[in-house]
Amino acid sequence: MQSVPMRRVVITGMGAISPLGVGAEALWQGLREGRSAIGPLRHPDAERLRVKIAAQVPAHFDPAANIDERILPMLDRTSEFALHAAREAIAQSGLDFRRNDLGVRTAVVVGTGVGGETTQDEQSKRLYGENSQRAHPLTIVRLMTNASASQISIAHGLRGPTYAVASACASANHAIIQAAMMIRYGTADAAITGGTEACITYGALRAWEAMRVLADDTCRPFSVNRRGLVLGEGAGIFVLESMEHAQARGATILAELAGSGMTADATDIVMPSADGAASAMRQALADACLTPQDVDYINAHGTGTLANDVTETKAIRLAFGAHADRLAVSSTKSMHGHALGASGALELVAVIGALRDSVVPPTANLDQVDPACDLDYVPNVAREMPVRAALSNSFAFGGLNAVLALKRAP
Amino acid sequence: MNESTQQQVFEIIAKQAKIEIAIIKPESTLKDLGIESLEAIELIFDIEEHFDINFPDQQGANFDSDTAKSLVDAVQKALDDKAAASEGSN
Repeated sequence: MQSVPMRRVVITGMGAISPLGVGAEALWQGLREGRSAIGPLRHPDAERLRVKIAAQVPAHFDPAANIDERILPMLDRTSEFALHAAREAIAQSGLDFRRNDLGVRTAVVVGTGVGGETTQDEQSKRLYGENSQRAHPLTIVRLMTNASASQISIAHGLRGPTYAVASACASANHAIIQAAMMIRYGTADAAITGGTEACITYGALRAWEAMRVLADDTCRPFSVNRRGLVLGEGAGIFVLESMEHAQARGATILAELAGSGMTADATDIVMPSADGAASAMRQALADACLTPQDVDYINAHGTGTLANDVTETKAIRLAFGAHADRLAVSSTKSMHGHALGASGALELVAVIGALRDSVVPPTANLDQVDPACDLDYVPNVAREMPVRAALSNSFAFGGLNAVLALKRAP
Repeated sequence: MNESTQQQVFEIIAKQAKIEIAIIKPESTLKDLGIESLEAIELIFDIEEHFDINFPDQQGANFDSDTAKSLVDAVQKALDDKAAASEGSN
């Protein structure tokens, strides 16, 4: 088979709804200031729940702002987040999808761990809790996993390949990789991609409680006194384009999405493997034509669980060898929480910020480094330093690893 | 130590680990008995359901090194606390 010449992929727009606020800049500003958005759980059933903290999108987020009132009833909270983030990203990119019929050549790929969980929870409560005989007629269109991708496609007239990608906590990274591959291969000239999750429901909180991985104080990745992960929520959506397409229209390039690596551990459904994660990082480096020495920063998966932090540290050492000691590695989940299927997208905002502004966001709440975690985790305070290239790690339950490699805008 | 609490906890462990109850010694850790990771979380769930108690939160991985006796003690403490709480409310 003749090889297809690979096109380079760049990012020309970003948008986010996150616990640190409305907009990608609000998220990035919060992260570079080392501000944690983790706080007391806001939920009607908070009194009954054992989990007491979460990182939630601020109450002032108005889902209805600038959204067609006929569309609003069709949206689960996941789609509200995604639509707002997509609109911000598209506005920043300056793309006009009607021009030259670009909409036909634009893909939409959105990652989500579970999709319309709020809808599922509300309807279950109606049926089983209140013995109602009727589910709401828009239940299906709200909860289907592809709802966010489809709503973005409809809102902006995007008629290229459009679907959802699900791989638990790696969903956003897998979606972004899928979108980038379509641009590389020539299937699309532009893509709207990222991840969205709204998982702070009674049912989901109970399920996470039962797994006993939730922290009761805050999220402290790589710290010896860490007590687990803190659930987050939100969406990060990006505009990808082929570099030639972006340059031809004189677009501002935020960063180059230079490569990616995807592997499966094939070992345990929850316990991560250092080998699987390391091989995804190695693949990402090779795919982006980077040597370990070219990389200055890794945005870690860094959940703040015993199982992740030690294994991820080992994996970074396996992939980077001696250069591991020269890397800045931080977990921004310490500030925006773990937004599951959206986490890689929120973290990509952090990586783009680091490349663009030469500032590495810190690992917050890092009081005392675990002796088993022996890298430079940029504790508590952001660091000004040039960042030429960076990796962004996402590792999911199910043993699924997806790593992005980014370079500063050319 | 309440013998019947120990007997009940050991029966639940034996069922989860699919082993003879006689194999379980008070000093056996869950890991010794082949119960790790998600199975340990499942065992804790079974014990909580059986006795209608809640164990305090801690990270899952820590259960693997817990001994059978420490689980029995934790159950007994939770049962005593529950009894005290219900007396207190009368």
